[in-house]
Amino acid sequence: MTDVSLAQQRSVGFFGALAPGGARILFIFAAIGVCLIFAFPVFWLLLTSLRPASEVFNVQSGSTITIENFFEVLEQPVVLKALFNSFLIATLATILSLGVTATSGYMLSRFRGAIPNTWFSLIYVFRCVPYVSWVLPLYFVTINLGIFDTYWGLLLPHVAVHICFFSWIMKGFFDGIDPSMEYAAMIDGCSRWGAFIRVALPAALPGITALALLCWLYTWNEFLFALILTAHEVPILTVVMAQFVHEMGMEWHLMSATAIIALAPALLITIFGQKYVVQGLRI
Amino acid sequence: MTGVVLKNVQKKYGNVTAVLDFNLEIKDREFVVFVGPSGCGKSTTLRMIAGLEEITGGTISIAGRVVNDLQPKDRDIAMVFQNYALYQHMSVRDNLAFGLRNRRVPTATIDEAIARAARILSIEPLLDRRPRQLSGGQQQRVALGRCIVRNPKVFLFDEPLSNLDAQLRAQMRLEIKELRHRVPTTSIFVTHDQVEAMTLGDRIVVMKDGVMQQVGTPLELYRTPANRFVASFIGSPAMNFVDMAVASEGDNFKLSGEGLTFKLPNQRFPKLGNSVGKHVRVGVRPQHLRLGAPSGDGQVGVTGKLMVTEQLGDEQILVVRVGGQDIRVADVDPELDFSTGAEIETFAAIENLHLFEQSGSEASLLRVA
Repeated sequence: MTDVSLAQQRSVGFFGALAPGGARILFIFAAIGVCLIFAFPVFWLLLTSLRPASEVFNVQSGSTITIENFFEVLEQPVVLKALFNSFLIATLATILSLGVTATSGYMLSRFRGAIPNTWFSLIYVFRCVPYVSWVLPLYFVTINLGIFDTYWGLLLPHVAVHICFFSWIMKGFFDGIDPSMEYAAMIDGCSRWGAFIRVALPAALPGITALALLCWLYTWNEFLFALILTAHEVPILTVVMAQFVHEMGMEWHLMSATAIIALAPALLITIFGQKYVVQGLRI
Repeated sequence: MTGVVLKNVQKKYGNVTAVLDFNLEIKDREFVVFVGPSGCGKSTTLRMIAGLEEITGGTISIAGRVVNDLQPKDRDIAMVFQNYALYQHMSVRDNLAFGLRNRRVPTATIDEAIARAARILSIEPLLDRRPRQLSGGQQQRVALGRCIVRNPKVFLFDEPLSNLDAQLRAQMRLEIKELRHRVPTTSIFVTHDQVEAMTLGDRIVVMKDGVMQQVGTPLELYRTPANRFVASFIGSPAMNFVDMAVASEGDNFKLSGEGLTFKLPNQRFPKLGNSVGKHVRVGVRPQHLRLGAPSGDGQVGVTGKLMVTEQLGDEQILVVRVGGQDIRVADVDPELDFSTGAEIETFAAIENLHLFEQSGSEASLLRVA
């Protein structure tokens, strides 16, 4: 674009009325504003978690800072168990769902015929069903199968949902990979399956990594399934956190401390995995 | 020994026939080119030979062994793809080694084969790079290397030069030609570019709508095209065609079209007898038209109005309107000056005329030499 047309573009509308560089400054302020809006509750949460129980309602004016709350929640066996369970469920759900979605996405991308078409329609229908409406039927299913309040009882519904959501994304990844690479592998000595494992899968790895991170975070943060499909045997962190609200009152300080603990792995993954997520979703 | 034999090979997708009754015997070490417009079935035929596409009917044998039901990996072939199809997550060296490692070839032999292929293709400095760090030409050279290291019975090329720019394409064409001498292997090369076909092929197979139109050496196709499609597809600029009515006149056939009439001796064109009272298409290559008036019986004249000149430096091409249609005259001295609208007189020798039936397969009405 020439300088003249740039100047013409600047001179019109609201931004044109600003001094030179004004649009840029405005943008920076807007960006900071948006960040503050999102960061402020987390900041408040952190402050609350560092306050004694008596001062959670005047977080802004008190001066006592303590890490006692963290020790207190970490001394509760249920919190420790929930941390372990949440980690286990998120990790297993990620491994299982990616195992299925990688093959299912590949099938949807590469094969035509009755089986892929039926599978695609099935996924489509399930995607259209509101998430919330799955919970109650799943509750009865898990009760009938005798897996209510067990690892399987939570894991399988998670995997089922992920398969529906992620098969489409995975199909997109494989659509972006040239199939002739697999043909070359088949001529080079691989079977059809071998071409998928040794050529297509490594080529889709950035995308799969991104999906793995998102899948893990999603399961780690999930609340509704965990609330309905588990009870005392398999405590899950998001549910345990909510249980600090009870008849005796609300233990905001302990809830905040647990929330901060729950936030940590998610934050770490977001910070260190961001590169892979952006890179992966771009292919 | 025979290289590749295709017998009545057919490919159908539901009711659509992609390849019909394809018969071809490719000799050992022969370089055959399949050429035709998009959708003519040339790539499908190649993919059937590779085993990437199922064969609906007929048999394909490689080195005397029927391969219809063999996996691609068991056919002892190597293939170069249009978009290179290099394994992006591997280095160039690993790309070359992949096929050999799959066949459990000893490491020392693999290293030797890679070194040899890299030397032949001058890709030694690239061995440790990733494919996406290479230019299009370099990538295609690596793809060729991947074929060479395997030392297969047949090389298959699926439009390998289409993604390269014109200059690089010409260069790679030469390199493939040179490669043929250094690594003589039975090869099948698919292209839609008739220049590639003419320059590379020992024999060319021209295809259209899934049907083989003609098989022959480049010169055979150029000099004696079997039908109008082959005549118009091979040669550049394309052959000129004029519709003409045929009448018998003593020892001659009288052909008359819009703005054009001439006579052809009976004994040179015996097949034309069946077309008396009908129309035929007369074809002549732009290179076979000369400026000036015809002299004697062996030549026919064409006169028209000059519409456009195309100056190419080493020649100029004149577009002349005869009756209602334009014909091209090539190989004209670039120094000559013409004014648009001028009357241009040209002639062609009778032996350079090609006559085709007006209807059906538009087969050639062969002349007698």
